[in-house]
Amino acid sequence: MTGYFLRRLLLIIPTFVGITLLVFAITRVVPGGPIERMMTQAMLGERSTAAQHTQSGGVLSEEQLAQLKAYYGFDKPIIVSYGQWLWRILHFDLGNSTRYHDPVWSLIKERIPISIFYGVVTLIVTYGICIPLGMSKAIRHGSLFDNLSSVIVFLGYALPGYVVAIALVTLFASQLDWFPLGGFVDDDFDTYSLGKKIVDVWYHAALPLTAYLASSFALTTLMMKNALMDNLGADYMRTAVAKGQSFKGAVRNHALRNSLIPIATSFGNNISLIIGGSFLIETIFNIDGIGLLGFESVVDRDYPVVMGILVISSLLFLIGNILSDICVAVVDPRIRFGER
Amino acid sequence: MRWFKLNPIRLNPITRRRWTRFCSIKRGYYSMWVLGTLIALSLCAELLINHRALIVHYEGNLYFPTYGAVLSGKTFGLDYDYEVNYKALQKNFAENNNSNWVLLPPIPFDAYETDLVKDDYPPFAPSSQHWLGTDTTGRDIVARIVYGFRIAIAFSVVLMLFEYLIGITIGCLMGYWGGAFDLVFQRLIEIWSNIPTLYVIMIVASIVPPGFWTLLLIMIAFSWTNMTWYMRTASYRENSRDYVLAARAIGASGPRIIFRHILPNSISTVVTFIPFSVAAGVTALTALDYLGFGLPAPTPSWGELLKQGTDNLESPWIVTSVVVAMTLVLMLVTFIGEAIREAFDPKVFHTYE
Repeated sequence: MTGYFLRRLLLIIPTFVGITLLVFAITRVVPGGPIERMMTQAMLGERSTAAQHTQSGGVLSEEQLAQLKAYYGFDKPIIVSYGQWLWRILHFDLGNSTRYHDPVWSLIKERIPISIFYGVVTLIVTYGICIPLGMSKAIRHGSLFDNLSSVIVFLGYALPGYVVAIALVTLFASQLDWFPLGGFVDDDFDTYSLGKKIVDVWYHAALPLTAYLASSFALTTLMMKNALMDNLGADYMRTAVAKGQSFKGAVRNHALRNSLIPIATSFGNNISLIIGGSFLIETIFNIDGIGLLGFESVVDRDYPVVMGILVISSLLFLIGNILSDICVAVVDPRIRFGER
Repeated sequence: MRWFKLNPIRLNPITRRRWTRFCSIKRGYYSMWVLGTLIALSLCAELLINHRALIVHYEGNLYFPTYGAVLSGKTFGLDYDYEVNYKALQKNFAENNNSNWVLLPPIPFDAYETDLVKDDYPPFAPSSQHWLGTDTTGRDIVARIVYGFRIAIAFSVVLMLFEYLIGITIGCLMGYWGGAFDLVFQRLIEIWSNIPTLYVIMIVASIVPPGFWTLLLIMIAFSWTNMTWYMRTASYRENSRDYVLAARAIGASGPRIIFRHILPNSISTVVTFIPFSVAAGVTALTALDYLGFGLPAPTPSWGELLKQGTDNLESPWIVTSVVVAMTLVLMLVTFIGEAIREAFDPKVFHTYE
C-alpha cells in the first residue's frame, strides 16, 4: 500500500504541471493583461498632463514597451516563460503582484490566518455537531426530534451558503442591527484589550460562520444518518444484540465505526476548504481572506496573485485527495489500495 | 434496434416498483406536482405577467396581443405609432364609457418595464400594484422573479442534459476500455476539474459579452467532469460481470455490449442525481449573476436581484423576495431528489426496540 501512495504522490507532479500550464496559457492569450493595463494608465496620465506636455508624442515608447514585456516575460513563447515561472515556483518565489507591487507570498501570508480561523472553526463545529446529531437522528428515525431537525438540515442542504449569507446579513445585520455588516474585526481593533479582541472577533464571525456551517453541516449530518441507518440494519448488529450486547454498546462498537467510512472519504478535502473558504461568503461579508483575494485578483487581472493562489489551492486539493484515501484506509482496514 | 422503443404501458417491473415507491413518499410526490405546476405556469408567464393585454375589445373586434406582433397605438384610434400602452388604454376606454374594453393579465407589468412614480425614486416598497415592490430601476419584482425562474430552470435543465450526455459517454468509455485511455482521461479530468471555472468565464466575458448560449457552453465545458467518475466506476464494475463476458463470448460487438448491457445496468441510478444537478445549475447561475458575470444586463435573474438587494439593504423586500423564492424552489427540488433517491434504494431500514 505504501507503493500505491508513493505512486499517487508522484502523480501529483504531472497533474500540477497540467493545471498551472493551462491557466498560465490562458493568462497569456487573453487581452487585458498587465501591459495593456499599464498602457491605458499611461495614456490616461498622458491626457491629464497633456496641457503641459503636448510635444511628448506616443504613449509608451517601443523601448519602454519591450522593457515591460521582458519584465513580465511576455517577450518569450508561452512554454519558455512557463518554464521560467515554474523554476521560480520551485524556489518558492511566487513573484510580485501587479496591483500592489508586493510579493504575492506576503499577500497570501497576511490572509492565511483569517481563512484558517474560519476553516478550522467550521471544521470543528461541523464534525462536533454532525456526528452526534446524525447518530441520534438515525437511532430515533421517524421521531419528532428527527423530523424537526430534518427541517433545519434540509434547509441548509437545499440552500447554497451564499444565499444563507445574504439572508443573514439582511435580517440580522441590516434590519435588526444585532451584528456588524461585515469585516473580520473592528477598525480600531488594535487598541482593544485582549478580552475585547476575542469578543470582537467572535462578534464579527457569528454570521459568516453560520453561513459556512449551514452548507457543510447539513451534508455531513445526512451522510452520517444514512450511513448509520444502513449499518443498524446489518446482520452483525443483530448478532451483537442477540448475543447480549446492549444496543448502545453495539452502536458504539460496531455500527459507528463502519458508518464513519463515508465521512472519512471526504475528510481530506477539508484541507483545501480551510485555506480556500468560499469567496462568495467572503465577498458578501467583506472578509479579507484568501477567497476574496483570489476573486479580486481575477477581476483585476493580477495574474501573479491568481497563479500563486492556484499553486497553493491545487496542491492542497491534490494532497487532500490522497489524505482522504489514507483516512479511508485507516478507518476501514478491509480496503487495500493498489491491490487488485 | 428494439432497445430504442420505450413502451410506457409495459414498463420494466423494477421501474414500476420504483415509481410506486416514489409516489408513496408524499413529501417528494407533492413537491413534484408543485414544482411541475410552477414550471408549467412559468412557461405561459406571458399570459399572467405581461404589459400586453390578454384581450382587447375595440369597435366590435377582439384582439389577442399577448403572443402576436406588436400592435401600434393607431390600431386603437390613438395618436401614436409605437406599441400600445394597454394600462392607459384601459383607463381611456373606461373614461369614454363605450362598449370597448381591455382585459389585462393579473400582473400587468413585464420584466423589463419600468414603472416610475413622480417625485419619488425606486425601489418602491410592496403595494397593491407591485405585490413584492420594485427593484432599483422600478421594475416589478414578481415579474423579474417569475421570468428569472423560467430562464434559470431552462438553463439548468439544458446544462444538465449536456453535462450528462458528455459525462456518461466519456465515463462509460473509460470504464469499458480501461487501460491507457482510462489513465489519460483520469489525469485530464483531474486537471480540467481543477481549473477555476469562474476565472474562465470572466476571461471569456472580457472578450465576448456572454449570452445565454455562450455561458451555457462554458458551464458545460467545465461541469461534465462531475458525471464521469460515477459512470466510470459503474461501467467498470459491470464490465467485469459474468453476463458481459458471456455476451462477449457469443460474439456481441462492443457497441452492443455497451448499449444493450452496460448502459441499461449502470445508467438507471443516474436519475437520482438529476434533481441535484438542476439545483446546482440554478445555484451556479445565480451566483454568477450575483457577481455580475452571468447573463447580460437586462435579463431578469435572481442573482442580479440579490445583488441589488445587498446593495440596497434598506429595501429589504428585494432580498426577502428572492431568498424566499430560492428557498421554495430549491427545497422542492431537494425533496424530489431525496424521494427519488429513496425510491431507487432497495434497502429498507430496520429499527430495533
